Amino acid sequence: MSTRPPLPAPPTFANGAIRVFSLSLSEMLWSRRTVFLLLVTGAPVFLALVARIVQGSGIVPLRVNGVAVDGASIFGMMIWVFYLRFIVPVLGVFYGTSLIADEVEDRTITYLFTRPIRRGAVLVGKYLAYLVCTTLVVLPSVVLVYFLLVPLGQVARTFMSFAADLGLLALGLAAYGALFALVGAALKRPLVSGLVFVFGWEQVALLVPGYFRRFTVAHYVQSMVPHAMPSDGVVSLLQSVLKDNPPVFVCLLVLAAIIVATLWRAANTVESREYVLDQ
Amino acid sequence: MIVAAEHLSKWYGQVSGLNDVSVSVPPGITGLLGPNGAGKSTFMKLVTGQLRPSKGHVRVLGEPIWGNSRLYQRIGFCPEQDAFYDRMTGREWVTALAGLHGFDERTAADAAARAIEAVDLTEAADRKIGSYSKGMRQRIKLAQAIAHEPELLILDEPLSGMDPLMRRRTVRQIKEWARGGTSVLVSSHILHEVEAMTSNILLINNGRIVAEGDVHQIRELIDEHPHTVSIRTSHPHAVARELLGDEGVVSVRFDPGGLVVETARPDAFYARVTDLAASGQCGPISEITSPDDNLQAVFKYLVKA
Repeated sequence: MSTRPPLPAPPTFANGAIRVFSLSLSEMLWSRRTVFLLLVTGAPVFLALVARIVQGSGIVPLRVNGVAVDGASIFGMMIWVFYLRFIVPVLGVFYGTSLIADEVEDRTITYLFTRPIRRGAVLVGKYLAYLVCTTLVVLPSVVLVYFLLVPLGQVARTFMSFAADLGLLALGLAAYGALFALVGAALKRPLVSGLVFVFGWEQVALLVPGYFRRFTVAHYVQSMVPHAMPSDGVVSLLQSVLKDNPPVFVCLLVLAAIIVATLWRAANTVESREYVLDQ
Repeated sequence: MIVAAEHLSKWYGQVSGLNDVSVSVPPGITGLLGPNGAGKSTFMKLVTGQLRPSKGHVRVLGEPIWGNSRLYQRIGFCPEQDAFYDRMTGREWVTALAGLHGFDERTAADAAARAIEAVDLTEAADRKIGSYSKGMRQRIKLAQAIAHEPELLILDEPLSGMDPLMRRRTVRQIKEWARGGTSVLVSSHILHEVEAMTSNILLINNGRIVAEGDVHQIRELIDEHPHTVSIRTSHPHAVARELLGDEGVVSVRFDPGGLVVETARPDAFYARVTDLAASGQCGPISEITSPDDNLQAVFKYLVKA
C-alpha cells in the first residue's frame, strides 16, 4: 500500500443502490426464503396442471350452479385467491420486513454499512433486489398457470387482461414490499406486525363500509383486477358486496405514492437507526 | 490524530458499554487491549460509525464518523464476527465489496486480486467462502478491508483463528502496511499478538481506558503496584532470608526450583538480587525472571487496579 492510487468519488445514492442490488440479488435468489417462495408459487401451477389433465380427459374441472366454468375464469379466480390475496402480500411481508433484518441477523450488515454509500441506498438496493427476485419467481408461475388453464383459442381474447394481471401483481409486490420495508426498518418485531396488517387489518378494513379501506394496500390493488371477485367464503362475499372501485388512475397514483413515501421513510429510518449485532 | 474521542460514552439501555472515554490515537499502529466484555467492541463500533455515541464525540481522520458515509472511502474495517455471504467465492465477495467504493468492475476486480494476494489466498480465491477454514475466513475479511487501499485500517481481533505461521505472516503484513503509510488500529484480548505489532497501546477495562501510550510508559504507571519476580536458585531459603528484610518486599513464596517474590520497589529489588547473585553468599542464582517484563503482566496489573 505504499503507492496509494487516487480513489474514485464515492458512489451517488442511486449508484450505491445499484451496486448493493447487484451484490444482493444472487444472495436473495438462492436463499432459503426463495426456495419457500418457489414452493408457494408452485402450488397454483400444480393445481392448474391437475385442472388441465382433468380437462384433457373430458371432465369439466369446475362447475358453478351446474354451469361449467371455462379456463379463463378459473385463471381469474386463481389470480384472486392465490396471488392477490395470499402470495403477493405474504411475499411483501416476508421479504420486505427482512431486507435489513436478515443482514443484521447474519451479521453481514457491517460490510455494507462501513462503505462509502448511504445506508438508505443499501435499503433501496436491497428493495430492488427483492422486487426482481419475487417478480422472477411469481410472474413465471402466473404465466404457467395461464397457459395451462386458458385454451389457445382464448389467448388472443384474454391476453390484455392477462398482461394487466402481470402488471398488477408486480405493482402489488412493489407496494407491499415498500410498505413492509418501512415496517422492517422501524419496528422491532416487524414480521408479526406485517402479518397482523395483512391478515388482520386489511381483511377487517375491507369489510367495513366507509373510508377505512383507503388505509389498505389491498383496496387499491384489488380495485384494478380485471376479473370478477370470487365469493368463495363469507368474508369474500361481504367484501365483494361492499366493494367500491376507485378509478384506475387514482389507484395507480395512490400505489405510486405508497411506494415512494414508504421507501423514502424506510431509507431515512435506516440512516438514523443503530443496529446492535449479537456477538 | 487518526481517532480522537472526547468524553465518549455508550449505553445499551441501563448497561454501560463505554464510560467517558477521552483518547487520541496517533498515526501508526495502535493496539487496543482488553479482556472480553471490557468495551473493546463498543469502542470499535463507535470508531467505525456503527453506533452513535450516547454522549461525547468521536472523530476519525479529523471528521465525525456517525452518518458520514463518505469517510468510509478512507477507512478499511475488518470486523470481529465470522459472518459472510457463504455462497460467494472469496474473489466475488471482495470484488463486490470493493465495487461499493465506486470502482468500475475491472478496477474492483484488480483491487480484489491484489488484496487477496496480499493475504496469501490467491489459490483459494475462486472457492466458495463457505468451504474456507477459520483462518482463511479471517484472511478474506482482511482482504475486503484493504482492497481499496485505505488510509486507516481498523482491525477487530484480526488474528483469531489463524495458525501460528499465518499469524506471524499477518503481523508482518500489518507492519508492512503501516510502513507504507497506513495507520492501523487493532484490537485484541491477547497481549503478545499486539506486542508483536506495536508498542503503542490502549488498555481498556470496564468501559474505560485504563492506560494509553508506549508500553514502557505504561510500565512506569504500574510501578506502584507489586511486581512479581521469580528467582531460580538451589538455596531458596537462604535467598528468602536475605530478601525478607528489604524494604519494599511484600511477600515471598516458595516454588519448585526457587522462590517468587512480590516487591513494591522493583528497581531497587533487581539491583539487590543482582548484587546477591554476584556475591554468591546465598549460593548460585541461575535465573531471574519477571512476568512484568511482558505485556501480559502489565495488562493484568492495570485491569485489576
